[in-house]
Amino acid sequence: MVDVTTVLRATLLGLQLGMTLALVAAGLTLIFGMLDVINFAHGALYMLGAYFGVVVVSELGSFWAALVIAPLLVAAVGAAIEILSLRPLYGRNPLYHILLTFGLAIMIEGIVVEVWGGQSYRIPAPDALSGTLSLGSLSYPVYWMFVLAVSTALIGAIWLVISQSDVGILIRASAHDTEMVDALGVDVSKVFTGVVVFGAALAGVAGVLLGASRSVNPGMGFGVIIQAFVIVVIGGLGSFKGAVYGALLIGLMTAYGALIAPSLTDLFIFALMAVVLIVKPSGLFGATEAA
Amino acid sequence: MRELFARFGRSERSAGNQILTTGGRYALVAIVGLLALLGPVAAILEPFWLFVLVQILVFALLALSLDFVFGYAGLLSFGHAAMFGAGGYAAAILVAEVTPNALVVLPLAMLTGVVVAAVIGWFSVRARGIYFAMLTLAFAQMFYVIAFADVPAMVAGAESVTGGDNGIYGVALYELFGIVDFSDRINYYFMALALVTLSLVALVRLANSPFGRALQGIRENEERMAFVGYDVQRYKVVGFAISGGFAGLAGGLYVPFQSLAHPQLLHWTVSGELVVMLLLGGMGTLWGPMLGATAVILMEEMLAGVAAWEIILGGVFVVVVIFAPRGLAGVVVSLKNDPRNALKNAKDALLTYVRKVRGER
Repeated sequence: MVDVTTVLRATLLGLQLGMTLALVAAGLTLIFGMLDVINFAHGALYMLGAYFGVVVVSELGSFWAALVIAPLLVAAVGAAIEILSLRPLYGRNPLYHILLTFGLAIMIEGIVVEVWGGQSYRIPAPDALSGTLSLGSLSYPVYWMFVLAVSTALIGAIWLVISQSDVGILIRASAHDTEMVDALGVDVSKVFTGVVVFGAALAGVAGVLLGASRSVNPGMGFGVIIQAFVIVVIGGLGSFKGAVYGALLIGLMTAYGALIAPSLTDLFIFALMAVVLIVKPSGLFGATEAA
Repeated sequence: MRELFARFGRSERSAGNQILTTGGRYALVAIVGLLALLGPVAAILEPFWLFVLVQILVFALLALSLDFVFGYAGLLSFGHAAMFGAGGYAAAILVAEVTPNALVVLPLAMLTGVVVAAVIGWFSVRARGIYFAMLTLAFAQMFYVIAFADVPAMVAGAESVTGGDNGIYGVALYELFGIVDFSDRINYYFMALALVTLSLVALVRLANSPFGRALQGIRENEERMAFVGYDVQRYKVVGFAISGGFAGLAGGLYVPFQSLAHPQLLHWTVSGELVVMLLLGGMGTLWGPMLGATAVILMEEMLAGVAAWEIILGGVFVVVVIFAPRGLAGVVVSLKNDPRNALKNAKDALLTYVRKVRGER
């Protein structure tokens, strides 16, 4: 029933899904690690990326332009959110951020419905990436390979930056002890804005990439945010490495689950999350102890 | 990060005993009396509003149940939809298969909520703060998938138990030994009003009992309570189970009235909306969250016709959280204690906001 080709195809699909989810989860986990903000609006930013992509492609006719411009627009929205709404709340109970970003997510969804209506769209994939790749008995869309390559390259680059560069040291230090970094003379509020802007841009890239292989609709934001939460929690809140491994795990589980028992995949995923939390509350790669 | 979570739920607020003062008692009687009058008026003038009133009562009860664990014990449950939905499904199945007698079904719906909450709570109380929230979320989503994919039917080999993604529809309304017929919606309304009032009174009593004090102690300082000799985990599980009972009761009230038990009842967005009601109303006051639930349901119903209703709804949350962090209850209390400075307070809040946006401290 399940032959090698099917498994290979599911593996590729799982990796592709995992890497794109990692783009969303990475932003979520970086924002949490540094700002202690659980950003419920992150899914909405991903959705905005897809919609901006639709607009740019229809205006300029270029997918490549959309892949650059749409994330920049989302980053601008992220900056506005950080400065106007998150910043006045730092230092308060983190619960208020949940309410705030929940409200923002509802607002953005409302705006999307207002502007683009309730119907679904699709970003046309560029002609250069149409067609399928054949490897023996396996045929796989070129565009999906492209998505896998781009998101893997991006995640790899971020990994390098975080682990090797000065910026990475600053990011890790701020996440570890914000007050100390502040005391050392770094303008932490700029770092905070930067992280939100960067996370938003990543979500925007994921939105454009997936907007060309899935449908773009007003429900996609809330759909992806819960997946991203699960990933971040399994990987460890605040851990970039955890987000990447978690995303791959969830991506592969979803793809294999679709072969075995599609309706129960989510059950296994949430059960896995519960088991991880019970056994190791701080997640697989979490640094902070929960209790 | 540790300090951040240590602050969870801690504040200077009083223990919700505003209701236990003489003024609070009068206010409670006045509001219940007003609602008792409002129901029949709505039934005559515009039956749709009776429908909205029942919905408000159900969600007020649900918000109340969440406030008992969150506002008092400091346990942020992001899975209260599980108990709500479980109570609702239990009611739907019992009404269809056993009896529509409210005196049988509602206690069992409540019991279902208690059992589900006890199971979720037992696993979850070991984690704290945001991790507790995520665990309850995971368990609640598991219940959602179980109902959505109709896992009970797969296991039992039956054709349908939860009805899968269609849910169980055509659920009959309650009756009471043939004496009261709740298919008359106004009777149903009075039953809901009575049960919600009783629940509020019971939870206020409980919150101010030694048990409730212990829960507050755990919220303020868990280690100290453990050192003093309280079995902290057991208190938390029991508190969570009690809260789950009232959430189950809310589900039992909601489903027959809607004549539908749908997996959507169990979805995490219901839990999220509930947390929003709680914070909007002002947690830890018991009456605040009920006010929050009322505000959210009213906004949803009244704005449903307006094209941009989601934008307005989301905008209200954002404004409240920035300018009125203690919720509507905080606004009400501040207006009552200090009505003259209301304008000045509003101006101060605005100035503080501008200062913080500019990055000044």
